[in-house]
Amino acid sequence: MSESPSRPNSFFARTAERVGRGTVNAIEEVGSGGIIIFQSIFWLFAGPRYGQPVRFGAIVVQMLETGIHALPIVIMLNAAIGIMLAIQGIYTLKIFGAESRVTFGIAIAIVREFAPLITGILVAGRTGSALAAKIGTMRINQELDALHVMGINPIRFLAAPAIFGMLIIIPAVTFFSGAVGLVAAGLYVNVTLDITLLSFFEQVIDILSVDDLMHGLTKSVLFAVLIAVIGVVNGASVTGGADGVGKATTRAVVQAITAIVVTDMIFAYIATLS
Amino acid sequence: MTENVEPDIEVRDLVAHYGPREILHGISMEVRKNEIMVIMGGSGSGKSTLLRHLMALEHKTSGSMNILGRDIDSLSMIEMFNLRKKIGVAFQSGALFSSMTVAENIMLPLFEHTSLDRVTMDIMVRMKLEVVELGGFGDLMPSELSGGMIKRAAFARAVIMDPDILFCDEPSAGLDPAISSALDDLILRLRAALNMTIVVVTHELESAFKIADRITVLDRGNILFIGTPDEIRASSNERIQKLLNREPDTEDIDPDVYLGRLTGKEEYGGVEL
Amino acid sequence: MKTKIREENGALIVSFEGDVDLQSSPDTRKALLDAVGQGKAVFADLSGVGYIDSSGVASLVEAFQKAKSQNNKFILISVSENARRVLELARLDKVFTICDSISDALDT
Repeated sequence: MSESPSRPNSFFARTAERVGRGTVNAIEEVGSGGIIIFQSIFWLFAGPRYGQPVRFGAIVVQMLETGIHALPIVIMLNAAIGIMLAIQGIYTLKIFGAESRVTFGIAIAIVREFAPLITGILVAGRTGSALAAKIGTMRINQELDALHVMGINPIRFLAAPAIFGMLIIIPAVTFFSGAVGLVAAGLYVNVTLDITLLSFFEQVIDILSVDDLMHGLTKSVLFAVLIAVIGVVNGASVTGGADGVGKATTRAVVQAITAIVVTDMIFAYIATLS
Repeated sequence: MTENVEPDIEVRDLVAHYGPREILHGISMEVRKNEIMVIMGGSGSGKSTLLRHLMALEHKTSGSMNILGRDIDSLSMIEMFNLRKKIGVAFQSGALFSSMTVAENIMLPLFEHTSLDRVTMDIMVRMKLEVVELGGFGDLMPSELSGGMIKRAAFARAVIMDPDILFCDEPSAGLDPAISSALDDLILRLRAALNMTIVVVTHELESAFKIADRITVLDRGNILFIGTPDEIRASSNERIQKLLNREPDTEDIDPDVYLGRLTGKEEYGGVEL
Repeated sequence: MKTKIREENGALIVSFEGDVDLQSSPDTRKALLDAVGQGKAVFADLSGVGYIDSSGVASLVEAFQKAKSQNNKFILISVSENARRVLELARLDKVFTICDSISDALDT
C-alpha cells in the first residue's frame, strides 16, 4: 500500500481528509459501477465483432446459481412473510371487525413490496456476496491479470454474464416469490377465517392491477442491476489478501441491501406520485 | 543470435509510476527473437513493475514500447486482443482459474480465440499436459495440485496457443531446487521446440545463469547492466558483484533519515519496500 | 495452405503445402480424417510444410488414432526439422511412424 507523503497532524485535519477521501472513493465506486454497466451493454452487442461474445452459457450458469439454487430458501422466506402478513393483517383488521378484507393488504403488500424486497435482500446476501468474493479472490490470485493477458476482457467474461443473468432471473424469482407468499397467506387465511383458497385468489386477482405487478417487477430489475454491479465493483477493488476479500464481501452485502431499500423507497415515492 | 533481425520487444525510455512514486526511471531495452532474456534485481528494483508493463497490464507515464513490431500505443482494441493471442504468461502464483479444472484452464484460450474442433482442443490440451509432465491430471481442480504442479499447469496454459513471446514471473520462486531446475529445463525445451522469445523475471541466480542468453539487471528503477551471463560474471561493477554475492544492500543510508524512520518522524518514500 | 491427395500402390498420400497453424489446421484435419475414412493406408507428406503448430500436430494424432482403430497404416513422410521438434516436445516422435520418403513408407 502506498501511503501519502503528507500526514496532517490535527484531529480535524485528519477527519476532514478521511471524509474527503471517503467521498472521493464513493464517487469513484459509483463511477466504476456506471462504467461496468456501460461496458457490459457494449460487449453484449458489440462483443461478437471483437471476438469477445458474452457467452450465453455463462449467463445461464449465473441464472441457475442466482435463481434455481436459491429456490428452497426463497420458498421458505416468502411463505413465512406471507403468513406473517396474514397474521398481522387479521390482527389489525380485527379492531375494526374487518378481518375478511385482509386480502387487500396482503395482495398489495406482497406484490408491490415484499416479493421484490425479500428476493432482493436474499439474492444480495447469497449471490451478491458470492460475486464479490469470486472476483475479489480472482483479483488477489492474479486471475484477472491472467484474463487480461489472454486477451479476454474481464468485464465481458465475468461482469456481463453476472449482470444479464441476474437481470433475467431476479424478476422471474420475484414473480415466483409473490406467488409463494400469496399461496402461503391464502392457506393461513383459509384456516383462520374459513375463506377458501379459490375465493382468496379470486379476490387477489380482483384487487391487483397490472400496475401493481409492474411496480414490483420493475423494482426487481433495478435491484438486480444494483446487486450485480455492487458485487462486481467491490470484488474488483479488493486489495491485500484474504481478509481484503472478506471485507469486500461484507461491504458488497451491506451496500447492496442499503441500495435496495433506499431505491425501493425512492421508487415507491416516484411511482405513486400523481 | 543475429543482430539485424527486428527485436520482438523494444522498450524506449520507459517511465512508470506506482501511485505517486516513480518506480522505473527511463528503461530502454530490447529482447531479440528466440532469445531468453532474464530480468533480475532485488526487491524494490522495479523488475515486477517492468514485467507488468511488458505484458501491457499497466499504463506507463512516458516512453514507448514495441511488441512483435507493433507500437502498443497505436493499437486499436481489436489489434491489442490479437496481439495478446501471440503472448503467453506464466504468473508467479500460477493464476489458474479456481472454478475450472486444470484441463479447462489450459483450454480456455483455445475456446475463446479459435474455432477448432473440440477433439483437436482436447488433444492439444493433453499434449501440453504431457509436455509439463502433468499427463492424467487434467480433470483435477487447481486446489488439488501442489505448488510445483500449479506452476507447470500455468506453463501449459501459457503456451497452449504456441505464442511468439512467453513471459514467466518468478518461475522457481517457492519451489524446491529439483522442481525449479525441472522448470528451467522446460523453459529451454519450449524455446527450442516452439521458437519462442522468452522473458523470465527471477531473483534466483542459478536459474538465471542456466537459462539466460542475456540478463538485464535492474537496480532502483534503472538498468544497471545488460549482457550475457559471462559478461555479468566478469563485470567489475560493485553493485552487480554485491547482487551476485548476495550481499545486503547497505549503501546510501543517511543516519538522520534512518533514525527518523525508526521513530516514525520520517515517511518511507522513493522506492517501494 | 494447400492439400493434395493422390493414390500410390494402394496408399493414399496426403500432401500439404504451406504452414499448418490455428487457421489452416481445421482443413488439415478434415483432409486427414477423410483420407483415413477411406479405409486405406495413409501417408501424410509434410515435405511442403514450413511450420506446424500444436493444432496441426493434434490433427495428426487424431487421424493416427482413427487409422489405428481401423488397423490401417498411418505414416508421416519427410518431417521437417521444426515439425520434428514440435513432435519431440510431446514425445510423439516415439508414437508416429516417420519415414524420409514415400518409397521408404511403401516398404514398411
